[in-house]
Amino acid sequence: MIQVTALSKKFRLYRKASDRLREILFRRAFHTEYQALANINFTVQDGETLGIIGQNGAGKSTLLKLLTGVLLPDAGQIAINGRITGLLELGTGFNMEMSGLDNIYTNGMLLGMSRTEMDAKRESITGFSELGHFVHEPIKTYSSGMVMRLAFSIAIHAEPKCFVVDEALSVGDAHFQQKCMTRIREFRQQGGSIIFVSHDMNAIKVLCDKAILLDHGVLIEEGDPEYVVNAYNYLVARLNDQENRLHLIDSDQHDYGTLAARIEEVSVVGEDSQSSVVSAGETTVIRIMIHAQQDIDEATVGILIRNRYGQDIFGTNSYHLKQPLALHAGQRYALRYTLPMNVGSGKYSITVALHSGPTHVADCYHWRDHVAAFEVAGTRGDVFTGLCKLYPSFTMTLV
Amino acid sequence: MNPALLLNFTKQELVDRYSGSILGAAWTLILPLVNILIFIFVFSNLMGSRLPGSSSTYSYSIYLIAGMIPWIAFSNTVTRSAFTFSGQSHIIKKIRISLPHLPLYIVLSESIIFLISLLFFLLFLAMTDNLPGTSIVILPFIFITQQIFAYALGFLFAIFDVFIKDIREFVGVIFQIWFWLTPIVYVPDILPTYAHYWLSYNPAYIFIKAYHELFAFGNPLNTQSLMILVVIAHLLLALAYLTFKKLEKDIRDFL
Repeated sequence: MIQVTALSKKFRLYRKASDRLREILFRRAFHTEYQALANINFTVQDGETLGIIGQNGAGKSTLLKLLTGVLLPDAGQIAINGRITGLLELGTGFNMEMSGLDNIYTNGMLLGMSRTEMDAKRESITGFSELGHFVHEPIKTYSSGMVMRLAFSIAIHAEPKCFVVDEALSVGDAHFQQKCMTRIREFRQQGGSIIFVSHDMNAIKVLCDKAILLDHGVLIEEGDPEYVVNAYNYLVARLNDQENRLHLIDSDQHDYGTLAARIEEVSVVGEDSQSSVVSAGETTVIRIMIHAQQDIDEATVGILIRNRYGQDIFGTNSYHLKQPLALHAGQRYALRYTLPMNVGSGKYSITVALHSGPTHVADCYHWRDHVAAFEVAGTRGDVFTGLCKLYPSFTMTLV
Repeated sequence: MNPALLLNFTKQELVDRYSGSILGAAWTLILPLVNILIFIFVFSNLMGSRLPGSSSTYSYSIYLIAGMIPWIAFSNTVTRSAFTFSGQSHIIKKIRISLPHLPLYIVLSESIIFLISLLFFLLFLAMTDNLPGTSIVILPFIFITQQIFAYALGFLFAIFDVFIKDIREFVGVIFQIWFWLTPIVYVPDILPTYAHYWLSYNPAYIFIKAYHELFAFGNPLNTQSLMILVVIAHLLLALAYLTFKKLEKDIRDFL
């Protein structure tokens, strides 16, 4: 168990490092202070994974450095019953001239392993790294992927009580990443804890048991990852509001039509998250505001969801749903599509079209590509892989 | 820091530094050997230097080497320890490591180079029938005291080096001057009388003189002045440690 109590860290900012010595000599302050962390409290149980989120400069890295003992706190305690190893120090002290095998020893000892421990684990580390005969070659002949694989293999064999992971588990190819994830899962099952910092909200939701949100060195939310991620999104949205509006008038957008009726605003909001980051399976509302310039008897409004590769994932329109719209000149209408967002994790864009008949080919009033965006992170209900959820049933019979 | 890590750092210093080269770790032996051979050849055979009042061919070379090897160990230990914090910042920034222990690998590797040099020196003394006899048992005591002094000084410089980049150049200059202020190349007799007074305040001369007495003159040692050095070394060690305790948080922040 890791228990952090009333942890505070202040950085003194000096113009020159030597000002610190002048301070002692002249007994006068030559610095400005910066409160990196203030009164942080949390606990991580054995086998638990804690996610730390926050914007740049929120104090995440400082917290990790305090946890690993690289920096010393001004106040507060960190109680850990065992070794804490960072996956942020991958490959520290690697000597490029020396073989992979020699570096396993050096790096392993830096991570706190003894010589006998290294002798016992050497085989296992080289095996895990899949370097083959390359392990006898100097590291300078390795590709960067191979160096990372070796570094990760050593770190994961350090058997600490707690791993501290900063972003990037993006080591090597998909096959190696899967191996790492399997290994990390085993580590958790054996009671190891993980402290995980990431900007990837999906990873936070998927990997963590709980999360904390830091803002300017203060812990402002703590609890269930989905709840904390939503709090983070709200925090970011509030700060980025002005920028977002600018994005809407982006010149790259495909935006055209006769403008007999206009699409004015489109938003995507998860029913529970109240933000544009939703869980797979969450009921999501796509809200479209239109403004009619002329009378139109039978208008159609369509939506198209595309993934980040631009692939069409799903599209429909009010014609197919058998709900023709009658619009009157000068009126504004609010339209809502409500749907369970049963698509895989990732970023999506929404295209909205306003036209007559089944397609926009005949009479296109207004077409707006990428008018809104949303992200699917984490899964609600049964886990699935792939682009969409298909609700299978499953039976087994004895034959 | 566990002893295995310390030994591993030392091995990196002595052996791994030459990895990739053909002779490899043999360089660790070759460099001190060449040093000693040059001193013998140039001063005894080529220049024919003698100690005042001595007719022995090798007397000056022995005097020079007896002072030179410990001085090199002392000076290298201090000047190289002085960069351990800023030089190893890539490790200190990422891994929890005990800072006071870190310069020890420099102390250890320089001590090993000293031992290698000493071995060659003793070999030369044996061949020319100049071995010092049983009084040599005092040698480890002189050397250990000297290295405690060197470590304390290096540790102190390493702390200041984090805050003042000029320390690097400063230490280099200080040791250049200190070398010539200490009778290693010359004998103290050539100094004017007022300089003799100041010489008694040079802590390096305490141990250099001890080596001279042991190897070059065969005189009994002045244990009293050696005791003064022991006290100086430990006082400096205490000062370095207290300074470190006061500044550790800042050192880690600044690196």
